[in-house]
Amino acid sequence: MGKIKNNRGQQEMVGFVLIVVIVMVALMVFLVISLRTDKEIPDSVEVENMLDVLMKKTTGCAIVFEPQYDSYEDLIKSCQENKRCSNLDKMACDYLKENLRNEMEIVMGTESVINSYNIEANYVFDEELENIFSLGSGNCSGSLSGAQRIISSGGGKILVRLILCKD
Amino acid sequence: MIKFNKRGQWKIQQMVFMILAVFIFFILVGLFFLTWTSRDVRNSYEELEKEQAISSLKVITDMTEFNCGSRESLCVDKDKLRIMRGNLSLNYADFFEVESIEFYVLGNSSESFLIYDSGQSQQKKYSTYVSVCEKDSLSGYVYDKCEVGKVLVGVKLVNG
Repeated sequence: MGKIKNNRGQQEMVGFVLIVVIVMVALMVFLVISLRTDKEIPDSVEVENMLDVLMKKTTGCAIVFEPQYDSYEDLIKSCQENKRCSNLDKMACDYLKENLRNEMEIVMGTESVINSYNIEANYVFDEELENIFSLGSGNCSGSLSGAQRIISSGGGKILVRLILCKD
Repeated sequence: MIKFNKRGQWKIQQMVFMILAVFIFFILVGLFFLTWTSRDVRNSYEELEKEQAISSLKVITDMTEFNCGSRESLCVDKDKLRIMRGNLSLNYADFFEVESIEFYVLGNSSESFLIYDSGQSQQKKYSTYVSVCEKDSLSGYVYDKCEVGKVLVGVKLVNG
């Protein structure tokens, strides 16, 4: 009689453990799915337009002669090639960093929902990555969205990436 | 005999409660999962709707009346905007099929160009970035001067 009671108790314990295991597996699957989707920064048409328009803006730096001014896209290339703004007697990289930061501040001033940004350019040649510049401001407290632009330069390419954080 | 029946009933009750508890627990987990995923679906729906609206803004900026003349998209000619902001745009009222169109330049100049406004108060406005370019000259050389701008298009609100 005592043996039968013990067996019943064991069976109930096995059942309970099985339920706990099933619940744990279901929770693990749910966690894996939710963590996997949060990792990637999604591309956005809005950010892509912002980056494209910003890259086309005419700057005050002329490498060869005035008024053949560089756009920001040309200026990034000039910076990578270590060129100088002939009209300003300034290195292209110095001018780029100073002015792009101001430009980003102006653009961010019109966007109430964006609380931080990060823009960077990397030169890729033979699978080697060289950072040209990286600018950022603000603390992110929301969702991220980004866009990338590829500029061909020399034998390699320059990858310009803009990431915005929205409330 | 009576004692045995009572014990059996008690066991059945225990089992029913256990099954019910497990069932309710799984329903709660399922509801939590559904709420989580539907939030993502709603967010992506809103994002898609916004991106579709921004893409349709390209149709307006690519019109010959505004475009730089280059094959590039999202580029408008400042001189054309100067002309179109006058009464000329009133002739385009049926053609635009939107409630308002406005361009403005970001930065120190902050120039704005109100191209068209139907006067409709119930509007939802969509905006995107555009290059605002014009021909300028220095020391006899003509060059393209492009600035960062925005286009604001108002559409009639269908539901409130």
